[in-house]
Amino acid sequence: MSVKYIPVQWNNNKYIYDAVMLLGVGLFLYVFLYAAPGLLSHERPINPQVHNARAFGACAFVMLSVILCIGPLARLDPRFLPLLYNRRHFGVMTVFVAITHAGYIIDWYFAFSSSNKYEALLFANTSYGQLAGFPFEIFGIFALFTLIVLAATSHDFWMKFLSPPVWKRIHYLIYPAYLSVVAHVSFGILQDQQNHTFTVIFIGGAAAVGVLHLMAALHERRVDQAIKADAVDWVPVCDVAQMREGFARIKLLANGERVAVYLNEGKLSAISNACAHQNGPLGEGRIINCLVTCPWHGFQYDVTSGRSPAPFTEMVPTYNLKTDGAMVLLDPRANPPGTFVEPVPAPGREAKL
Amino acid sequence: MSDDNKPFFVGYLPVPQALRGLLLAICVLLVSGFAGFGLALGVAQDDPGEGAFRFDYGRQTVTGVIELTPYPLLRVTQGNERIKPGHTLMLAGGGKNNVDSRAIPLEGQLAQASGVILERGDLDMMQLRGGRGGLDAAEGAAPQMEVDQLGRWKLAGEICDGKCLAGAMRPGRGLAHKACANLCLLGGVPPVFVSTRPVEGSQFLLITGPDGERLPEKAYDYVAQFISLEGDVERRGDLLVLRMDPDTLEVLK
Ligand code: HEM
Ligand code: FES
Repeated sequence: MSVKYIPVQWNNNKYIYDAVMLLGVGLFLYVFLYAAPGLLSHERPINPQVHNARAFGACAFVMLSVILCIGPLARLDPRFLPLLYNRRHFGVMTVFVAITHAGYIIDWYFAFSSSNKYEALLFANTSYGQLAGFPFEIFGIFALFTLIVLAATSHDFWMKFLSPPVWKRIHYLIYPAYLSVVAHVSFGILQDQQNHTFTVIFIGGAAAVGVLHLMAALHERRVDQAIKADAVDWVPVCDVAQMREGFARIKLLANGERVAVYLNEGKLSAISNACAHQNGPLGEGRIINCLVTCPWHGFQYDVTSGRSPAPFTEMVPTYNLKTDGAMVLLDPRANPPGTFVEPVPAPGREAKL
Repeated sequence: MSDDNKPFFVGYLPVPQALRGLLLAICVLLVSGFAGFGLALGVAQDDPGEGAFRFDYGRQTVTGVIELTPYPLLRVTQGNERIKPGHTLMLAGGGKNNVDSRAIPLEGQLAQASGVILERGDLDMMQLRGGRGGLDAAEGAAPQMEVDQLGRWKLAGEICDGKCLAGAMRPGRGLAHKACANLCLLGGVPPVFVSTRPVEGSQFLLITGPDGERLPEKAYDYVAQFISLEGDVERRGDLLVLRMDPDTLEVLK
């Protein structure tokens, strides 16, 4: 399957996803900007520019925290995979909210002087040698630029152009960017305020992101230990009896590659576990209409050849299999992507016609 | 890994029945969560204080003697209902700009100043209108102005830019505002020291370098922070001026 660089492939689920997300963000901003001031009994209100900047900055932080919780949640429980499906729209929306935050700050705090406001952003405070009073804006600038790069390269065109591994490495920059936001806030408003509601929400959000990632990593490690193979010619995968029609067993090879071994209509086939789209875990998908379907975005592959059905052109490597009694054995040398491999009958699991 | 009891989501197919309840719950949680955070954070905003531009007073015009500390002051000799003779006004231009080019040629002379007042408690400042309408020489001889020396003081507090603090920005102080304050001070807007304890009845002091020059570069690293410092205090009309000693600067927190 391929998106063929069509800007966005819309479907009902994406409409619903985006609508919910926009409603949430809209409500956050509306309540912060228009409902909250009425409840504050300030003798004179905060300047609207500062109020706006804070609303958009806080919103971007909450959005980013939610986005970063989705990945580990989906690793821990596949029922959360639908949240992963359209996550990039959430990310792009966050960038616009963050740019608005920076815009209000730059047009207010750094404007009205005889200097250029962007230059002023860099020279007005240069106390880099101290913790209190550190120019925390610089962390915001780094985060903003990183987010802009990620949003600009979020489209599938860039994934094809850069290749999924490179693309993925670039998109891991989201973690330094998030840490940078944490530093931005920790050196900034956290040291400044009297009311500590923001501190509590902020630490809670950042901790949720951290703890979920840790849990997902531990979970992943346990799974890896269970499926890791020694470096041998033919790698034992499992007993045929452990296989389930339409589903895969995943094997982690000594070279770090993962293979998805599928039982389909009583026959065994093996393809790479890494989806050609975004490296989604094909072995955690299932066979729908004779095609392996990726759990992340639904790309599909013929299980015997690793090829997407026409007119699509995606291909993943295939692997050779044999059986020894009831044991399924895997040749760890991958075939070139798209190579047809005759499926191996699974002893005792022949399809009932 | 997979389990056929668990529903399988594919984006372009309808959502499996078994997932609908969970997804609906997540949608409701997300939307109400965002609204809730918006409310919690919105109502957690600190009071920015009472400072403001007093456009409601209308344009104020008074006459007095121009003094340079080196930041320009107007020692009012002929006031109006709001601004009494004996009062000392700090002067600033529009935005983050000073009025040096207009005030320096008038040093020691009688001048008429016109503009809008910024006010926060007993701290105030005048933002002059542009051009000669804002500051111009006045007829008559300038009277001699007194400067009382109040000796050396050790004070704790915060260096702010006097204009934002007085109400040009709300909030106009604190670490989040440090870069902005520095930009004002670099522009020559009069800096103010906010003392935790009043000095001779006043909490706000115009602050300068040790020999009455502009705020020393070293002080910029400490703007908007809680510090202690020593310096000589003098009284000019009802305004205190602190000539700080940069070697005594210490961060307290
Ligand atoms: C050019 C980039 C940025 C600049 C110059 C900047 C500057 C600032 C400044 C000056 C404040 C303090 C505002 C105040 O309370 O008076 C602030 C607060 C904040 N910023 Fe940024 N920022 C930038 C980017 C970002 C980004 C990318 C994020 C998050 C995704 C972010 C999140 C926040 C948050 C959460 C706050 C605290 C909000 C609050 O006061 O309630 N900022 N930023
Ligand atoms: S469909 Fe996107 S990673 Fe497989």
